[in-house]
Amino acid sequence: MGGARTVVPAVVVMAVLGWLVPAVFGSFWLKTFTAAVIYALASLGVGLLYGRLGLVSLANFALRGVGAWVSLRLSLLENHLPIVVNILIGGVVAAVIGTLVGLPALRLRGLYLALVTLMGAGAFFVVINAIGFPEGGTGFSGREGTEALRNAPRPEFAQSDPAFFRFSLLVVGLGFLLVWALLQSKSGRAWAMIRRSEAVAFSAGVNVTLYKTFAFTLAGFLAGVAGGLFAANVGRPGTGDFGAAASILLFALTMSAGSYHLIGAVLAGVLARVLPALFSEWGIPADVANMVFGFLLMVSLTAAPEGAAGEVHRLWERITGKRPSGPDDAGSGGSIAGGAGAGGSSASVEAAS
Amino acid sequence: MIFAVTGQDLLTFLVTGLTLGGIYSLSALGLVVVYRATGVLNFAQGAIGAVAALTLANEFLEKDRPAILGYLAAIVIALGLSLFYGLVIAPRLAHRDPVVRAMGALGFGLSILGFAGWRWTARVQKLSLPTDDVRFRIADVNVTLTRTIVVVLAVLVTVAITAFLTRTRVGLSMRALANDRELSSMIGVDVRRAETTAWLLGGAIAGVSGVLFGATKQLDAASLTFLVIPAIAAAVVGQLRSLWWTLAGGMLIGVIESELTNFRSISPYKDLTQLAVGAGVILLLQRSRSVSFEGAQR
Repeated sequence: MGGARTVVPAVVVMAVLGWLVPAVFGSFWLKTFTAAVIYALASLGVGLLYGRLGLVSLANFALRGVGAWVSLRLSLLENHLPIVVNILIGGVVAAVIGTLVGLPALRLRGLYLALVTLMGAGAFFVVINAIGFPEGGTGFSGREGTEALRNAPRPEFAQSDPAFFRFSLLVVGLGFLLVWALLQSKSGRAWAMIRRSEAVAFSAGVNVTLYKTFAFTLAGFLAGVAGGLFAANVGRPGTGDFGAAASILLFALTMSAGSYHLIGAVLAGVLARVLPALFSEWGIPADVANMVFGFLLMVSLTAAPEGAAGEVHRLWERITGKRPSGPDDAGSGGSIAGGAGAGGSSASVEAAS
Repeated sequence: MIFAVTGQDLLTFLVTGLTLGGIYSLSALGLVVVYRATGVLNFAQGAIGAVAALTLANEFLEKDRPAILGYLAAIVIALGLSLFYGLVIAPRLAHRDPVVRAMGALGFGLSILGFAGWRWTARVQKLSLPTDDVRFRIADVNVTLTRTIVVVLAVLVTVAITAFLTRTRVGLSMRALANDRELSSMIGVDVRRAETTAWLLGGAIAGVSGVLFGATKQLDAASLTFLVIPAIAAAVVGQLRSLWWTLAGGMLIGVIESELTNFRSISPYKDLTQLAVGAGVILLLQRSRSVSFEGAQR
């Protein structure tokens, strides 16, 4: 119901972007936009956890690193598997680790969960700094031996930058489709109920443990796939990019862009990757972008709990005079949870708890 | 080789470890005081200390301006930033749950980090204090006065804050707020006064620990900002409540981290200590609880 109304325009927009962006922009901007699209996939997972379940995970940027490491290691191993499969395996490994990180979420909530995931992200940073990303060498870490340094390979059909942009767009689009479909399904309704009240969900027969764990698995998978794409996009990932600041930034941007709407993840990707690129184009130091991001987080928390996407959504409703029944709300405002759109009311649930 | 470590090595790194641990403890004490009185886990504390230390180093010591003004400026800036967050931004989030309030402080911290990175691009590597030149030897280990001050200060601050909380009127209201905010404000506890005091204390501690970290370990915006992570780990050991356990937690993390430098094969992983301690304590404390519903935990 209403499925085609959401999916068809999204596919059209993506097709247009896939053709337009490589046609208009040069190499630098194309890579920037590819990075933004990839970032959106990681942000989607974080947004799912916070927007749908109210769980704060600061570990997802690290899971992106896990995905990058695994797919890079496999691709450089000459295991003759298609690169796409290696990227997916990276996603699966990240999903497994994401689930392990999420297990404490079954008991912890709120602040303590955020802290545990932050510690997890920090641990990844320490480890990745010690072992480094594979560079085409031998040994477990892929850094031994004297072979020439090698870049992360891209799929043979997506070697050029424009082709890789389209490939990333397609993969990320499929990720969004997966999450969207899940939100329409039983999972979406279960998540919505858990968000409202765990006790009610429990008594209504929702398997709270299963669905919370599943959300972490899914978010980990999305982050891992994003990592594989990221490695193939930049060629040789640096370990310095995975510090605590990056983990926190992923969450901060997802929050400010709006985690109650899927489109917020896209916005987060644009903020994270396009804004700093614009700044450097204008000769503004990259640190100023961090100032802006921190400020945006404070503003979104204090003034606009639904983030930028929520504000745009509201504006759109006012212009078109439509009732709030946007495509993204369908899942969380679903029949069981009932009532008004998820966004505003979940903020009030938070206030009450 | 693991056994190539001598007792002398262990002793040398014990001194470094106690210094590092002292700074962790000090920062953590600031976190605990603010958290208890206001319910905000001040993620921005490291960043506040960063601005204080970097101002002192870059704007005063580097430019040969009077050092005393620099120390004054560092403290005033730390107090100002802390108070600004506490009185202007935090109240807007006062009715949200603890994680949202912590994330607000995180946003403030990110902004400050961005500012510091933009204003001071890693020009001065280390802060040198006059107390660095006063040295003496204890059991064949060189100790500077700065390092001694750190350890003594951590203990003194713990004693002082404990006394403050138990002996003064404001301390009493801070403890009341920690127990039950709604009830306290209903029976007429001066919330504003207690919170302001807590933010001022937190700011002062942030400034001092930032300067000391810059003088004994590293002086750059990012490391100083993320000093908040080991501090959180130490505060978690005290369950964000007990000052003495917090002191012990910080010292323990600092000493283990420092001693691991002796062992070459594990040395690159020494920073895992703070994370393992922090996450470990959280998980251990929650172990006894079964699946819980909202409201069952604070």
